[in-house]
Amino acid sequence: MASKLNPTFSEQLKKYGSVNFNACYNCGTCTAICSLSTTDDSFPREMVRLSTLGLEDEIKKSLKPWECYYCGECTTHCPQTANPGELMMSLRRWLTAKYDWTGLSGLFYKYLPAFLTTMVLVFAGVLFFANSVNWELERLLHLGHMFERTAIATVFVVIFIPNLLRMWYFTVVKAGVKVPFKTYFTALNDLFVHMFTQKRARDCDGNHFRWLEHMILVFAYLALLFTTVFLNWFSTENLFVIVLGYLESAFIFIITADFVKDRIQKKQTLTKNSKPSDWFFVIWLMLMGLTAFFVRLFIDFNILETSKWLYIIHLTVLMQWALIIVPFGKWTHFLYRSFAMYFAKIKSVKK
Amino acid sequence: MLHYDALVVGGGIAGGEAALNLANTGYKVLLVEKDRSLGGKMILLSKVFPTLDCSACITTPKVSEIARHKNITIFTESEVTAIVKKSKNDFTAQVTKKPRYVRVEDCTACQLCERACPVSVRDEYQSGLIGRKAAFIPFSIANPKAAAIDIENCTLCGACEKVCPTHCIDFTMETEYYELHVRTVVLATGFNLFDPLQIPRYGYGQHKNVITSMQMEREIAPTRPYNTILRPGDGKVPDRIAYVLCTGSRDATVGNPICSQICCMYSIKQAQLLMGALPMADVTIYYINIRSFGKGFEEFYQQAKGMGVNFVKGKIGKITEKENGNLILRYEDINEGVVKEAEHDMVVLSVGVKSNPTVGKMFGRDELKLDPFHFVAQDDLLGSPSKTNIDGVFVAGTASAPMDIPDSILSAGSASSEAISYLIQHQEP
Repeated sequence: MASKLNPTFSEQLKKYGSVNFNACYNCGTCTAICSLSTTDDSFPREMVRLSTLGLEDEIKKSLKPWECYYCGECTTHCPQTANPGELMMSLRRWLTAKYDWTGLSGLFYKYLPAFLTTMVLVFAGVLFFANSVNWELERLLHLGHMFERTAIATVFVVIFIPNLLRMWYFTVVKAGVKVPFKTYFTALNDLFVHMFTQKRARDCDGNHFRWLEHMILVFAYLALLFTTVFLNWFSTENLFVIVLGYLESAFIFIITADFVKDRIQKKQTLTKNSKPSDWFFVIWLMLMGLTAFFVRLFIDFNILETSKWLYIIHLTVLMQWALIIVPFGKWTHFLYRSFAMYFAKIKSVKK
Repeated sequence: MLHYDALVVGGGIAGGEAALNLANTGYKVLLVEKDRSLGGKMILLSKVFPTLDCSACITTPKVSEIARHKNITIFTESEVTAIVKKSKNDFTAQVTKKPRYVRVEDCTACQLCERACPVSVRDEYQSGLIGRKAAFIPFSIANPKAAAIDIENCTLCGACEKVCPTHCIDFTMETEYYELHVRTVVLATGFNLFDPLQIPRYGYGQHKNVITSMQMEREIAPTRPYNTILRPGDGKVPDRIAYVLCTGSRDATVGNPICSQICCMYSIKQAQLLMGALPMADVTIYYINIRSFGKGFEEFYQQAKGMGVNFVKGKIGKITEKENGNLILRYEDINEGVVKEAEHDMVVLSVGVKSNPTVGKMFGRDELKLDPFHFVAQDDLLGSPSKTNIDGVFVAGTASAPMDIPDSILSAGSASSEAISYLIQHQEP
């Protein structure tokens, strides 16, 4: 089968954050040093090679970028300082853009102004909406809650399901994998295990604490989502639910604050090359936790009525999060990573 | 005040060759060597590529010739601390000569002192594979062949002094300082081997059966320590020997991104010698690229393949030790694109060439131009490769760049003819 080379691929990939990978001289140190690389699944050098050659189709077929958890050892030990870890990161961004049928992910990754404009538009939308209900807190809260449910359902149906199907099409169907249908059920276990534990990240040498933090963050985030959407945290009288929400939001902003600190300090390889998408993801998650915490606090102290601005901020953060960052930003790695492990399991059955 | 026509700094193969050429033309030469013997690194090698000639058999006669030449004065255990250019053909040099505590001219190399000495330390001339005494002959083919006292480790017990039949041991010797005038200078300060402790994932210094290529060189040299090939951990004769090429070369993480030019070929040479010494052993060379660029090198590489040396494309990522002392090497097989692990019972790290930083310090601040890797810069690389940025100062051998022995000798020839030409052009006023 003929392979299509894209000679401008490395230029393209720079916009997604890759650095210096063309310096690679194919010694294989990165693959040999990688704690996650196995005989069956050897990376990252293969990905570096494919990227250097511009073999886009091969990269699109591959799940390996998702199997990398950026322990950073490859980058630390690369004799050519070709930074394979950062290449894998930028390939994940590139793949996210490829899976997205709307093309917005790619646009936002490549052109920061487009992303910022959309963020501002969402803010304007919130103000317009608040004005149209005459800034009445009761209605704001009610409609905000309604909106949250609608947004989740819409993003799920319109964005995530088609994008995951595309991912499946590229990585399983186009890769020529044919497995019995029941494999899709037997492999489900892997999907959920990886989705909720990110256990692969634990195999990174010397990174256990970060893995633990990340896992707690995922649980806190999902739990807070459940608490606000289905248990209606902002309107409930149930003391258990109230305390639960406080705990969850506190976990979120404490852990994300630590992640922001890491990205500022740049001590780990993983945090050395933060792109706008990384910053917005972690900071907006932190703001979500923080503003949700204070909105509920203000409700409990009965001062939200006089401090509506706080809810407007919270609603803005929430809208920007749900309409931009979740469907088109870094949030999707939650799905793609776990589905990648699921598809990898399915592929392995074939062998 | 001493006067010489030429000062040659470094008594290895390049410095020795340059000194001989100058001396044979009739010039008075002072050869300054920091070690206890002439011969540099070459005199310690087994055989040389690509001809497999015995290294000692080439070096020893040459060193004797240098030592007995009427126009050459030799200072061993000496260092040039400063060189100042006064005028076109007048350089002053400060030389520090450390005491040997043995009067070389009286010593018969009978080794009685060695037997009497109660102190044992690691023998640096055998790359630390065995021990030596604090009163000792550096190595059997050393020149001058005379005892020396390692004063750092000596307990001053006086046992050697008592047994010495010629009473040549003299603990009252002191450091001597010389100031001399010379008309030209040849720098042949050589290179340092890369220190593999800088790459902890290779386990050198921790895993007992991981050695350097210089240690293996000693194991297969005619004046070898064990008289057979052993792995140092437990004395077992190895069956599966691995070579890790590019240890400390072409590696930006250790600050040495350049190719050392010799490791491919010396590893192939050692592999061939090992095939001869241990016919049943498997020898595997893990490489990034085999650079067989010199005359006869490619044929030498093919010869090794023909002999059954195993070549695997892929750089070793990490080395772990098993309980029995065997080693697990993890690497990516580049041809297959998969991670593999291989077990070997002995690993040789083919360490690279680093510059010798002392050369820059002899001159005033920033006076001698060095290249980015601290080798002496060659100002006119294609026109006059031996010229440095200082007129009248020439560079020979690996002081200017990593290179093999034939190239070092060529370079010394070039440096000495440039120096001779300089001496003729700048006759005494």
